[in-house]
Amino acid sequence: MTRTRWSLIYAAAAAFAAIILGLLFMAAPREDGAIAWTDPMVPGGWMAWTLPIALFFYTIGCLLILFTILAVRFPETPRVGVLRIETTRGDRLFISLLGSAFISLAWLAAFGAPLTPALILCLVYAAAVFRWV
Amino acid sequence: MDKTQNNRAWFLVLPVLVLVAFSAVIPLMTVVNYAFNDTFGQNQFFWNGLGWFEDMLQSERMHGAFGRQVLFSAIILAIEVPLGIYIALNMPKSGFWSSFCLVLMALPLLIPFNVVGTIWQIFGRVDIGLLGHSLAALGIDYNYTNDPLDAWLTIIAMDVWHWTSLVALLCYAGLQSIPQAYYQAARIDQASRWSIFRYIELPKMAGVLLIAVLLRFMDSFMIYTEPFVLTGGGPGNSTTFLSIDLVKMAVGQFDLGPAAAFSLMYFLVILLVSWVFYTVMTTLDKQEGK
Repeated sequence: MTRTRWSLIYAAAAAFAAIILGLLFMAAPREDGAIAWTDPMVPGGWMAWTLPIALFFYTIGCLLILFTILAVRFPETPRVGVLRIETTRGDRLFISLLGSAFISLAWLAAFGAPLTPALILCLVYAAAVFRWV
Repeated sequence: MDKTQNNRAWFLVLPVLVLVAFSAVIPLMTVVNYAFNDTFGQNQFFWNGLGWFEDMLQSERMHGAFGRQVLFSAIILAIEVPLGIYIALNMPKSGFWSSFCLVLMALPLLIPFNVVGTIWQIFGRVDIGLLGHSLAALGIDYNYTNDPLDAWLTIIAMDVWHWTSLVALLCYAGLQSIPQAYYQAARIDQASRWSIFRYIELPKMAGVLLIAVLLRFMDSFMIYTEPFVLTGGGPGNSTTFLSIDLVKMAVGQFDLGPAAAFSLMYFLVILLVSWVFYTVMTTLDKQEGK
């Protein structure tokens, strides 16, 4: 496919993601005009959605869409890294996410909330995974 | 390889994706939501942030259940895998007795979990059970309902009885696929029984053996029904494994938040182990292919 068509696909995906994000924030519960981050998004709903968790799943979803598009445009070629196993780009995403979950839990067990430093550590870890694994 | 790549084929996966979303992804998302909230029922939720995770990570009760679970899985694997290999090596290779053994071995696998629990529950009872009564007649002080060690031994014996066949059958299938030429070559080289096992049979069985270990690990790590029926997690908490404790917490005490937080961590451990096994398996396959 040509470069312009790819630009179109990127733009469409970005617009789709932006619309969903906008809808999420529009659906967010409000108190005196400010977003009530920790209130249920659907009062009385059995799934107990709150905005932070919704944003978490939104991020995961966006990552999956992004990696799908990338995989179609630049087909994944496995390579062998420091773990001595073949990994593709998708494998590295999985390793990053799974490892990040354990890093966050370890941080929580050792130092407790807040998890902001753990998040930075996770990003460093993810970068390292994509570079060397 | 000159296979045609057609990415439109991915659309054929769509129905499965919808089904999995309905049966697994949405419930999992709900568990994530519950892990960050507190509830007293009637779908009224109150944000609790990371509180449940902190509680669960420090909880003695959960450390205990996790430790017992790891110990149980380790013991099960240490017994069932070598025993399964040993049985598979000694099974008749062909003829009537081979089919007979196969059917016999498959029988325990066909019995529903709760029935297995009930069988052993009665089998081990000192007053009416064959095993319990015989042991008592021999003068052995055996009572799985109030001695933790006896309870553990009974649960392990039950699991070995129930699942060793699976390992044995998988290994047997692996052994059957080894061409006779390998054995003939070994005989010409005057290889010992051990070196035949070490250098021919074990490497050829490695693939199925890994699947067997993975299946046995997963099943024993998630075991619920059998110990629940046999001991109900007792005496005390000595045989309360992770899933038994989780059900107690979520359904018995209706502590959905902590139970959800803990089941997420439980899930992560299982995901990690499965990924490791899967990676090792595929890497082995590729090395064999070369």
